[in-house]
Amino acid sequence: MVSGYLITILITITIYAMLAHSLNIITGRAGQISLGHSAFFGIGAYTSALFYTGAGLSFWLSVPLGTIISGIVGALLGIPCLRVRDDFLAITTMGIVFVVEAVFLYIPFFGGAMGVGGIDPPKWFGREMSKPEYFILLLIVLILLLFFDRRLERSWIGLAWSSIREDEMAAGTMGVDIVRFKVIAFILGSAIAGLAGGFYAHFLTFIMPQNFGFGQSIVILCMVVFGGIGTRWGPILGAIILGILPEISRPIMEYRTFLYGLLLVAMMRFQPGGLLGEESLLVKFFNSVGSSVRGKRIIKNASRS
Amino acid sequence: MLLEVKNLCKEFDGLRALDQVSFSAREGEILGIIGPNGAGKTTLFNIISGIYSPSNGEIFFQGKSLLRLKPHQISRLGVSRTFQIVRPFLNLDVETNILVAWGHRFYPSLLKSIEPFRKVEILEEVRTIIERTGLQPYANQPTKNLPLGIKKRVEIARALALRPRLLLLDEPTGGLRFEEFVQLMALIRQISEEGIGVLLIEHNMQVVMDLCRRIVVLDHGSKIAEGPPEEIRSNPRVIEAYLGKEV
Amino acid sequence: MLVQQLANGIAVGSVYALISLGLTMVYGILRILHIAHAGIYALGAYTGWFAFRLVGEFWLSLFIGMAGSALAGYLIERFLYSPLLHLPRIAPLIVSIGLFTAMEETFRIVAGPHTLTYNAKIGIGDLSLGNFKLTETQLLILIVTFLILIILWVILSRTRTGLAMRACAMDAETASSFGVNVKAIVAINFLIGSAMAGAAGVLIGVYDNQVWPTMGSIPAYKALAIVVLGGLGNIPGTVLASFVVGMAETFFIGILAIPFPRDAVAFVAMILVLMFRPYGLLGKG
Repeated sequence: MVSGYLITILITITIYAMLAHSLNIITGRAGQISLGHSAFFGIGAYTSALFYTGAGLSFWLSVPLGTIISGIVGALLGIPCLRVRDDFLAITTMGIVFVVEAVFLYIPFFGGAMGVGGIDPPKWFGREMSKPEYFILLLIVLILLLFFDRRLERSWIGLAWSSIREDEMAAGTMGVDIVRFKVIAFILGSAIAGLAGGFYAHFLTFIMPQNFGFGQSIVILCMVVFGGIGTRWGPILGAIILGILPEISRPIMEYRTFLYGLLLVAMMRFQPGGLLGEESLLVKFFNSVGSSVRGKRIIKNASRS
Repeated sequence: MLLEVKNLCKEFDGLRALDQVSFSAREGEILGIIGPNGAGKTTLFNIISGIYSPSNGEIFFQGKSLLRLKPHQISRLGVSRTFQIVRPFLNLDVETNILVAWGHRFYPSLLKSIEPFRKVEILEEVRTIIERTGLQPYANQPTKNLPLGIKKRVEIARALALRPRLLLLDEPTGGLRFEEFVQLMALIRQISEEGIGVLLIEHNMQVVMDLCRRIVVLDHGSKIAEGPPEEIRSNPRVIEAYLGKEV
Repeated sequence: MLVQQLANGIAVGSVYALISLGLTMVYGILRILHIAHAGIYALGAYTGWFAFRLVGEFWLSLFIGMAGSALAGYLIERFLYSPLLHLPRIAPLIVSIGLFTAMEETFRIVAGPHTLTYNAKIGIGDLSLGNFKLTETQLLILIVTFLILIILWVILSRTRTGLAMRACAMDAETASSFGVNVKAIVAINFLIGSAMAGAAGVLIGVYDNQVWPTMGSIPAYKALAIVVLGGLGNIPGTVLASFVVGMAETFFIGILAIPFPRDAVAFVAMILVLMFRPYGLLGKG
């Protein structure tokens, strides 16, 4: 039997992996930066929580609704910003975190500082889903998302995103509708963050505004940067490592945010591609180990013959 | 008429970069655009391709106004360009660079956009462009490692993948070695023989005099002369503004 | 009442101007969204607070706060931004966010999570004309901001350095071809901009009579919103936008008592401007 503590960590990491993956669509694939990812995570969590507790909709309906509403807010915010200049997205998304947090905190409808409670775990086959079952459900969703990501990367959308990331002006003159594709990435990323939020709400069973503050955005960004911006597995690896680290060592917990900040600076300064990205020291290390082993084998074979 | 430019003006912070420039270009014609540095040639290209909007004046492409259109809309109508300071997608290989432009017929539809882009039929057609521009040896190499001459050809190949009716070439021969230079001249001539109009900004007088039947001369943002090469060569205003300084 | 609110609005707007100007200057020259600028602002408040504890003289502590911020700004430019300028613009932005987070946490770890009270003796006294009253700290903010803005204006419009700064903001490459030492000008931009943010930190520390680790969070995005309102990189536009936001906050919240988070005003104004005047209040096009 898997212990409850372990399963809690596994679920948390899977939710973080979804978040990191969704930010990677915006930042890694399309080259745009969102500092408001925690806000969309929060919008998804609050919408699905309120649809569940307020409107009495089931988990299976409230979570998709949270996803859709996150995506719609993403569109409303992304269209005016992305129409003008790329920097505006970073600015407005940073602002939206503070606004969304304030709205959750000060407007009674959203439960104020006490948050929203009474969100039950999902039910299936007439009974409540167990934690391990919930973990498997989340894992399946994550795998589906990654398949979808692979499909997108190999599609014309993925190609358009790479061209925008590489050189926006040149992409425009090559027939790529820059605004449209950036908006698609932003909506998709925001919606998936909302989906993760819905799962999170039904996992914690009560949510508070502080769960979705600016610090949370930094954590998500950190996972993406640490693992490797723009790679498929980098953000997942980042979520796993940075998700486990504070659990292993309690002292790290106290300085966690500080370390995340330093990590962002250090990665960009010395290893901008991340653990799995281009020019990665880790990848180089494994390649060199691999090639030296191969080299020795060739020498051995040569000396034998 | 393929392209008509009428009284085009562009100001940057009160500085006139283009002043009442008018000219037109026909299909299959190579129109040379020359002038000393800062004459406004690249600004002209940036306006035609929709990167800047003009302060005044009009541009018609096949009778349709290009004002207020975005770069991607203009390129989809059939106007494509290269850049003076090359800007291929450096981390993509040559083939993928061309594919980006090839996708212009898929991008407008969301449904078509989610189709995979590496399909055999498409790759075959891209292959013909690669062969035409002599890029076979480099097809699967990342563009950032290629020498300047090859990068310039990648830009032309990419522009051709848009199936243009009008091609804007901004100093395509700058920094090329002799063989590359000769190949490129032949390619430009061949492109125009297919009926594609070419606007050619060029510093090398020999190239312009060789390729173009008609030349437009800009100086300080104004058009100071237009005509066949022989006439331009002997035009006193051109000699004073341009040839006089450099030759 | 109205005049009183006007005074409050101007005081708040002044501080916004001090923070936002540095940000817009950095954007103007490097095209970097310098989010750590808000960390510099909080650093100024902490340095000033610490100096005041040490020397007990307010004006000296204000100066030390400004100097500390200026130095930090310079070091950030020299060792973090400048080596990253060849990378995609997302790289310096991520560094900036990481740095801002690390700075806030450093304040928390070093000076503790609680708020510190300033209790500075400034010695200029309140100003009252009939019903109209300016508190000592409001007066202080107005005087200091006014002096700093005049000095900035003189530097920008009357000195060779200022001319070079404006030239670099328009087009660094061309400026460099005319013999301007762009590196030095970038450093000067950071020094001046950071010193102003440091001054704002000290002033707010005195005005609210508290200094706390996350005091930079709200200004971080509010200053960005103001810079957008002013038209990224536009100095007069930024000053105007600062006062507009300062006034709007005091009027909407203070007089009309609209139940709306005060700190969201700048944000809403920014979204509106993005939709209708994308190049800012004073922008063209």
